[in-house]
Amino acid sequence: MATSNPTGAALALWNPGADEHDPISARTYGFWLYLIGDALLFCSLFASYAVLDNPVNAAGGPLTAQVINTPHGLWQTFIILASVLAYSLGTVSLKNGNAAGVQLGILAALLLGGAFLYISGTDLWALAAQGNGPTRSAFLSVFFTLLLTHGLHMLFGILWMLVMLVQVGVLGFTKDVVGRLLNLRLFWQFQATMWVCVYFYVYLLGGAR
Amino acid sequence: MNPPKQRRASLLLKPLLALPALLLSGCTMAGIRLFHPAGLVAGAEMHYTLILVITMLIIIVPTLLMTIIFPLRYHHSRNAKYTPDWHFSLTIELLAWGIPFAIVAFLCYLTIQGVYAVNPWAPGILANAPGARQPPINVEVIATDWQWVFVYPDQGIATIDDLVVPSGRVVHLQMTATSNMNGFYIPQVAPMVDAMPAMESRDAFELDQPATYTGFSTDFSGAGFSWMQFSTRVVPQAEFDSWVASVQANPNQLTYAAFQKIAQPTVNAGAKPAYFSAPDKNLFGEVMTAAMQGVVYPVPDSFTKRVSDNSAQGAQAPASPQ
Amino acid sequence: MQVAVDGPWSPLLGRLSLAAIPYDNPILVSTFAVVALLGIVIIGAALYFGKLGYIWREWLTTVDHKKIGVMYIILGLVMLFRGFMDGAMMRTQQLLADGPNSPGYLGAQHGYLPPYHFDQIYTAHGTLMLFFAATPLVAGLGNLIVPLQIGARDMAFPYLNATSLWLTVSGAALCMISLFVGEFSNATWVGLMPFSEMPTNPGVGVDYWMWAFQLSSIGTTFNAINMIATIVKMRAPGMRWFRMPVYCWSSLTTNIIGLSIFPVVTVALTMLGIDRYFGTHFFTAGYGGNFMLYVNLFWIWGHPEVYFLMLPAFGLFSEIVPTFSNKALFGYPTMVAASFSIGGIGWVVWAHHFFTMGMGPELNGYFSAATMLVGIPTGVKAFNWLFTMYRGRITYATPMLWALIGLVLLLIGGLTGMMLSASVFDYTVHNSLFVVAHFHCMVLVIGAALFAGVTYWWPKVFGFKLDERNGQMYFWTFVLASLLVFVPLFYLGFAGVTRRLDYIYNPALKPLLWVSEGGIGMYFVSLFYFGKMLYVSLRDQIPAQADAWGTGRTLEWLTHTPVPFYNFAVTPQINARDELAWRKAKGVEGVQPTHYVPIHLPSNTAVPVIIGALATVFGFAMTWRIWWLSIASLLAIIIVVIIRSFDKNEGYVLSAEDIAKMENQVALASIIAEQPKRPALAQVEAH
Ligand code: HEM
Ligand SMILES: [Cu+2]
Repeated sequence: MATSNPTGAALALWNPGADEHDPISARTYGFWLYLIGDALLFCSLFASYAVLDNPVNAAGGPLTAQVINTPHGLWQTFIILASVLAYSLGTVSLKNGNAAGVQLGILAALLLGGAFLYISGTDLWALAAQGNGPTRSAFLSVFFTLLLTHGLHMLFGILWMLVMLVQVGVLGFTKDVVGRLLNLRLFWQFQATMWVCVYFYVYLLGGAR
Repeated sequence: MNPPKQRRASLLLKPLLALPALLLSGCTMAGIRLFHPAGLVAGAEMHYTLILVITMLIIIVPTLLMTIIFPLRYHHSRNAKYTPDWHFSLTIELLAWGIPFAIVAFLCYLTIQGVYAVNPWAPGILANAPGARQPPINVEVIATDWQWVFVYPDQGIATIDDLVVPSGRVVHLQMTATSNMNGFYIPQVAPMVDAMPAMESRDAFELDQPATYTGFSTDFSGAGFSWMQFSTRVVPQAEFDSWVASVQANPNQLTYAAFQKIAQPTVNAGAKPAYFSAPDKNLFGEVMTAAMQGVVYPVPDSFTKRVSDNSAQGAQAPASPQ
Repeated sequence: MQVAVDGPWSPLLGRLSLAAIPYDNPILVSTFAVVALLGIVIIGAALYFGKLGYIWREWLTTVDHKKIGVMYIILGLVMLFRGFMDGAMMRTQQLLADGPNSPGYLGAQHGYLPPYHFDQIYTAHGTLMLFFAATPLVAGLGNLIVPLQIGARDMAFPYLNATSLWLTVSGAALCMISLFVGEFSNATWVGLMPFSEMPTNPGVGVDYWMWAFQLSSIGTTFNAINMIATIVKMRAPGMRWFRMPVYCWSSLTTNIIGLSIFPVVTVALTMLGIDRYFGTHFFTAGYGGNFMLYVNLFWIWGHPEVYFLMLPAFGLFSEIVPTFSNKALFGYPTMVAASFSIGGIGWVVWAHHFFTMGMGPELNGYFSAATMLVGIPTGVKAFNWLFTMYRGRITYATPMLWALIGLVLLLIGGLTGMMLSASVFDYTVHNSLFVVAHFHCMVLVIGAALFAGVTYWWPKVFGFKLDERNGQMYFWTFVLASLLVFVPLFYLGFAGVTRRLDYIYNPALKPLLWVSEGGIGMYFVSLFYFGKMLYVSLRDQIPAQADAWGTGRTLEWLTHTPVPFYNFAVTPQINARDELAWRKAKGVEGVQPTHYVPIHLPSNTAVPVIIGALATVFGFAMTWRIWWLSIASLLAIIIVVIIRSFDKNEGYVLSAEDIAKMENQVALASIIAEQPKRPALAQVEAH
């Protein structure tokens, strides 16, 4: 369409093709935002933990020092960090377009995550079996909830890894798959960070009290 | 605080606030309870409120005027001065931030001062009250579903829905509740404070003139909540003493077992009072401990039937306890 | 582990039985008849006109931000109506049940609602108005306008956007179902603790409330993520931060608030849920539980939430006042700063909602002072709007009228809010009708802004304006009604009348209650004019210009009216803060692009609406403790998401010829028009 205004041509008014945004960058940014939300979720749980970690709220039941298994916690920390490392090694293969390498990394991360959950699960189960289940007192309610919330996140991550194992094989490295792999790495590292917070706050500080 | 000054301030504001109400309804001013504070604590509340409101009006009124004048003045039909590109002025911005800032700073200062003056735990304003020289009257308040139990530990008596206190004495209230959170509130007299299960809270007031007030629960607690009123009677010391003696002679005793019956959810329409002698010395503590151990008084089905069900309300029409 | 429940429970149906249907309650039965009739009429009409397929293809499965926005707004308006009916019922009950000798009808002792029914109504009123009327309206306008104002094709994550919508709808659906199957919560919209716990509240009402709230807040969190990502990542070339319209700034602030607070309430509700389902003791009075923890968590969400709703309203005023003053917004930078200050202060003042819970004077003093600080940026905003009008050329179009009354209400609401924030005063009126009047003033500001916004942008979306004459009648009747309803409440508050009463003890208050009831009648009149406005505008459909009001300043007025589904045929280059005003000044506002390039758009998908439906089933099953169905629906959601993640669909391409055709005949591209099926692209390996 011709313009009657002579200056129109000189001014930059339209920018054809400028709407192709980098999908992976927007996606990763969005995922960071989700992680902020998740961090606030953990913040609220930690705040509740701080409020309820108190003899009054134990209602005669045990407090942190009596319910944690610090050596197990340390092992869990090592395992989850190893799992993150395995996943990261997998993403190195992503750079080379090596599907088998990616799958191997994910598989290792997944198994280590499973081991982590196994330790958590047996510890909590044993605690509940001693009569110190989450319904015993408000403190135990928040103790179980904090650990199980983290555990559920881990479980979700493992499910996600299973899906990605298949997708890397079936779909190959499409834009979506690569975006998901990168976000999953963020997710997994974030859960490890949250675990370190749990370990520090519950196992070390709480155990020392 | 200076009472005459306070009265002057209220002289200004009361008619202002009340005018539309009168126009709207012909309601008597006596109905607007908060404009008639009784006692030092409520007086202080009103005093601070008035200063705060007047200070705020310093900024609200001109802004309101501008909100009315500008749209009229600059309506396109009036061809007033038009500066389409004028969109920033440092002076105006500085004033727009600065004036509210100054006013808010003053409000904050005043409010914090006021918070200490009427702090229900230990109202500063009562420290030098006439009644402060005598020992306080202690009353333990237990909110049940849906009645108020007042225990007088020093006198060894208890009442339901009838708070009687002598004039000229500081009254200390200690509160808790059985199952649900309630708000303790005597509009012209005492600050509102929540009465909560397994928790202890406090309130205090002093009244110098004999009078009768109505108290309410302000925090919703279930089907009978709307009927949770109680009378507050301020009587001369002598009358109070003889009242105490008469209640002490009452054969009804408020043991913990008797309390457990009273604490069953009940709608006390009309706030019919009841009186007991020799309450369990530690009734208040027992109620708190029970709540901590998870005792609740569940509401029977008849109150929570989905459909219209008469038994949900007291059989009798509640009387206005005023 | 499962908590024992009162009454029967069966593995197949959980707590559900025929007794849950309130067929013996005339009010609910007639409501059900009306709702069912409406449903039949709508579906019947769609069938009759053969539009069912159209609705499914073009609306229910859409990922277009404008259609999603429109559906949010429809949801909001429908729920606004239901919330209003609840309000009308409450006011009528209080009027009838005033004084010991007041009559009783329909089996109630006083008035016509027994306490348990009344309590559910006001809980539903608060819940619906906040989560399913105000929030969807705010989210809807944001969805509609923000991408247009920043020159984007769509939101950053269109598929997530649709999911947010359908999660919100599923929450609203649960509220509606609770009317006819079982009961709603009676524990107020804030969820009183420990009153909402199992021992004191054994019915399914609290569960309905909890799941409706939970689902909608998950939807809102997703929407917040989406909005932030859109504003940060999708701006057109040349749109630097300080060229962004103020409405986008306020959307950004509001969604930062939203993202930061909704997880907190999710945690609080989850804790309540596990208390109720598994018998833990977070918020019980006994066993070391701490219900004050809930109160704190709730208001850490709850206070920022009110600003989550208010800031977009401020943003709307900042768009509308300049347009109808035909003048640039005054003090743009401080407007942005004020939005962020309000948001920031909003995080640290939550405890002013429970001054009476026994915090010491130190904490009460701090929270009083902190709350008052918010008066400063709010005042700044008011001054900036006033100085935008100063030396302007003002026209009283309906959106401007709404903005002006919004400003007045803001002053009254602000004054009373500042009063309440002084805990000295709050000790006397907390939980009284004074508080109710305060926040309704504020909520009416939001309401005014939303009506202003809907009227303002309606022509952009649909191609014709709303009828001005009836719009103004609607405005005046609505304002009069609001004054009649809420001014008496201030006085009743001073008279010491507390809130949530289904019986009022003092018959002397009758006159004030009558005035308030008169306001309810007036609202019905305004509703009539609202309907007439819609009817007349739809009948006449007078075409509007691209710049519908003639004095628009921002980017959305640059594209066609009605806006094509692809927004801008060619992405605009941004040169100034008020791009359209700048183009007008240069005389190039009519210059169209000379050639088109193909546009890449996402395909529609049924996954979000399926997720929404499954979420409704999940909430319902959890409410009634039908475990097999809860697990099945949850698994179904996970499976649907996984299946969709294997989809290679890369969207489709709109060819340059198609665009040229539609640019010449804009109606073809309007969001109402049905689009032909365009073949989808398949994603290929990047390597
Ligand atoms: C100048 C700004 C404001 C101040 C200083 C302020 C202050 C307050 C205070 C102190 C309360 C507690 C009163 C009480 O429960 O005793 C309150 C309640 C409330 N405010 Fe505001 N407010 C402001 C703005 C707003 C806005 C913008 C909204 C809504 C959009 C709002 C909505 C509410 C609601 C809903 C409640 C009552 C919640 C409930 O208990 O159900 N306020 N406000
Ligand atoms: Cu607030």
